[in-house]
Amino acid sequence: MHYFIFDQFLNDKKYTTVINKIETRLTDLGINGRTEKLSILKRLPDTLNDIDKKGATTIVAVGNDHTISKIIGLLPAHDITLGIIPIGSENHIANRLGIPEGEAACEIIAARLIEKIDLGKANNYYFISHLDILSNEQITIDCGSYSVSTTETSNILSIRNFKSAKSDGEKDSSSNPKDGILEAVFNSEQKSQGFFNIFKKSYSKESIFPFKKIKIKCSTETIPALADGHLTIKTPIAVEVIPKKLKVIVGKNRMF
Amino acid sequence: MAMFNNNPEKNKEPETIIGQSVKVDGNFKSEGNIIVEGVVNGSLKTTSSLTIGQNAKIKAEVEAKNLFLEGEIKGNVKVFEKTVLKNKSKIIGNLETVALVVEEGAILNGKCMMLPEQILPEVKKSTK
Repeated sequence: MHYFIFDQFLNDKKYTTVINKIETRLTDLGINGRTEKLSILKRLPDTLNDIDKKGATTIVAVGNDHTISKIIGLLPAHDITLGIIPIGSENHIANRLGIPEGEAACEIIAARLIEKIDLGKANNYYFISHLDILSNEQITIDCGSYSVSTTETSNILSIRNFKSAKSDGEKDSSSNPKDGILEAVFNSEQKSQGFFNIFKKSYSKESIFPFKKIKIKCSTETIPALADGHLTIKTPIAVEVIPKKLKVIVGKNRMF
Repeated sequence: MAMFNNNPEKNKEPETIIGQSVKVDGNFKSEGNIIVEGVVNGSLKTTSSLTIGQNAKIKAEVEAKNLFLEGEIKGNVKVFEKTVLKNKSKIIGNLETVALVVEEGAILNGKCMMLPEQILPEVKKSTK
């Protein structure tokens, strides 16, 4: 049975039309199920536990990247397939999975093309797309037999399961969420040279290290990391890949 | 990033890139292509190709299937197929290789030993 979880931000009146269209299309396709609308009083963890007890096989997250991120953190404890109907802005994860926005996503749910993809685990939290750390201190990753440290002062470390499709629409063979590997990608901000470039930030070429398990440390203080652009985790962070942990309904135009 | 025109692996996507802004310490082992533009201390081994750029500083024992060197290596080097030493490249240490291409201006301060091609499969197995 399908359970549709509508995120809290969809209670805004401006989404009424698109939600009505989605509900109509789901009925036409014969895949309508139970609907749960999140609110201040109805929290996600309790809702997921209730749904699992009722024997749900598929949960469809209706919302944006934040909705997916919140559900991903709780879903691995349950043997449930995830479907996505993206609405609004910030839908990079759905884009990467080949799921179009709004009503059109209902066709993807109906086609039910399921892929088992890897999840990243940072301390005890799961992430589907990426984990970012921005620091002015030295960042070190300990990979067991070797360690990698930054040598510049302003650094960005991004742990990728797959790239979020913010700008490009190309298939990305380097970050595949089915390969059982995560990538640590370092970028450093460099001082711009020349009068006309003083306000521009430029970044050196990235360094890429594929891995299965690492520990991230920062030289002096504890710094926050953002998982899927939403969840904050503090260093030191043990990161590992959990292969094929998530069953997700994807579109034919997925980028991996 | 400076790349070589006659690099046969040029079009293959590198799996590991050690950029200018990072330093690697310890024993780095890989089965994919590696590009180094930064600093490596320890050992650096791959069963595929290793490309070392102009600004790279390597103080390590190096093992690779193919080596394309533009920068500097301080340490012993073992290559199971082809070594290309570009102009201004520098090895301070011993080199063992099956095939060797040296451009004018390259520096090799150490012994150079040519490995027989026949031993290649055994060597390959032992590195995996």
